[in-house]
Amino acid sequence: MNSSPFSSRPASCVEREREREREMEEATGMARVEKVRGRSTVTRCFSKYPLKLILPKKVGSVHVDAVWIYTLSYGGGIVSGDRVSCRISVGDGCTAAMTTQASTKVYKSVDSKCSEQILAARIGKDALLAVIPDPVTCFSTARYSQKQVFRLFSDSNLVVVDWITSGRHESGEKWDFEHYRSTNHIFLEEEQPLFLDSVVLEQKSSVSIAERMQQYHVIAMVVILGPRLKHTQNQIQDEVKKMMSGQFRLPTSTSGRYARSESKHCQIPPPFIASCSSFGPQAVGLVIRVAATTTESVYMFLRHHLASLEPFLGVAPYFQSGR
Amino acid sequence: MEIDDKGTDNNERTADHLLQWTQWQLLDSILPTGGFAHSYGLEAAIQARIVSSPQNLKSFIIQVLENTATLLLPFVHCANKSPDIDNYAKLDKLLEATLTNEVGRKASASQGAALLRVAASVFSEAPLLRKIRESFMGSREVSFHHAPVFGLICGLTGFDSGTSQRAYMFITMRDVISAATRLNLVGPLGASVLQHEIAPVAEETVRRWMDRSVEEAFQTAPLLDTVQGCHSYLFSRLFCS
Repeated sequence: MNSSPFSSRPASCVEREREREREMEEATGMARVEKVRGRSTVTRCFSKYPLKLILPKKVGSVHVDAVWIYTLSYGGGIVSGDRVSCRISVGDGCTAAMTTQASTKVYKSVDSKCSEQILAARIGKDALLAVIPDPVTCFSTARYSQKQVFRLFSDSNLVVVDWITSGRHESGEKWDFEHYRSTNHIFLEEEQPLFLDSVVLEQKSSVSIAERMQQYHVIAMVVILGPRLKHTQNQIQDEVKKMMSGQFRLPTSTSGRYARSESKHCQIPPPFIASCSSFGPQAVGLVIRVAATTTESVYMFLRHHLASLEPFLGVAPYFQSGR
Repeated sequence: MEIDDKGTDNNERTADHLLQWTQWQLLDSILPTGGFAHSYGLEAAIQARIVSSPQNLKSFIIQVLENTATLLLPFVHCANKSPDIDNYAKLDKLLEATLTNEVGRKASASQGAALLRVAASVFSEAPLLRKIRESFMGSREVSFHHAPVFGLICGLTGFDSGTSQRAYMFITMRDVISAATRLNLVGPLGASVLQHEIAPVAEETVRRWMDRSVEEAFQTAPLLDTVQGCHSYLFSRLFCS
């Protein structure tokens, strides 16, 4: 190593360059969205096994300036040990939506190998990225790790839906996978952390995943961020509060410690629970967390609450899915 | 020479013994830190009928402890290891972005601020506590989250990191169980029995998750997190969180 202080800067630049090259080599897909003649356009796009990126010509109204990107996997799922790594950049003022055509299936783990999905996204000034996939479904014994990192500006806009179901109900699976990790990080300029969230579900902890989830089969998280989406945020906050307020009951004091005398019906937890949390400076972001007994009820919730994105995306999210 | 050695020995022993008094005081529920204003989501979980029996109360407490271990112990550990002003401010900022549940985040900030206020007055042997409090009071830069404040106090008063992390789990368990008695889920004797029953699980959990970096922090109880987020929707409530 050269000890001269002057050499440290170029050396780190070279290192960074190399790191970028390495990342590009490892990436299984990338897409760049830029303004061309005033319209959001995919100017670069590639993908390789096990990822396929599809750019349908027309998704919504021609009067709406948005591109849609579908991420597909060969054979409809992620095989044990697969590593999918995708980079997307949405240029200033552009709008892009990323979605799937069906739930992401994570097949059984072979030799305890973990499957991995990585998304690194840059969102420009006044741009909008909506990541609105179908849920992840981990089969029994599956090991899955997902990491999504978003880098953006204070006036960028972002929608992220991240959700998981308990497995293949028809085969009797219920939270039977081995390991699940989902990380969503959002950074502002200069790597300022805005939202750092990681959820890990592991079979080998003191309480099994199934016990932790009780009768719930779906866990979902929706992040809504940015000045263009303020109206959507406020609307969801109001509606979720209204929806949930009737769901809570005080155990009556006359009925003893565990309210045994209450009727059966009153003891059943609500089939659908949602709560909203603001985050960031001046409550710039909103995260909605959902626990539900059915996948369909979450599709309905998303369809209803994200419908106000239609003017930006050309089509309402989840308009055709889950039916 | 001999006398000198003995003198040093005695001094060390006295310091050790004094440290024990400090430890007990920091963990004592009489310390006015406002911990008992929080139920760690238990109140919302009861009203949502997620917790309704002694069995699922125990499971609830174990999940809260596990979530505390994976999400917050890294912050206790790192604040304890380098109890200085820059590291403290950095950890607080990271935790502000990591606590994505608004109810939990506000609870953490109010508990931490209360604890630092008390500790800055009580543990005058650690003047940095007062200095940190005064430097960041009223600034938007620091929110005074509970876990790094706790780690900082432990680091400055001479707790080792392992003890600090165990102690953090202890006060979490103490506060949840206290909330359970006030919510009439268990009686005071039952609560003490439960606390002793859970201790081995808590110890196992600490051992598994202690000494990790803040980059590794994560949460493990998404259902309880969702339910805790509903706390502000409750029509009537005893607790702040």
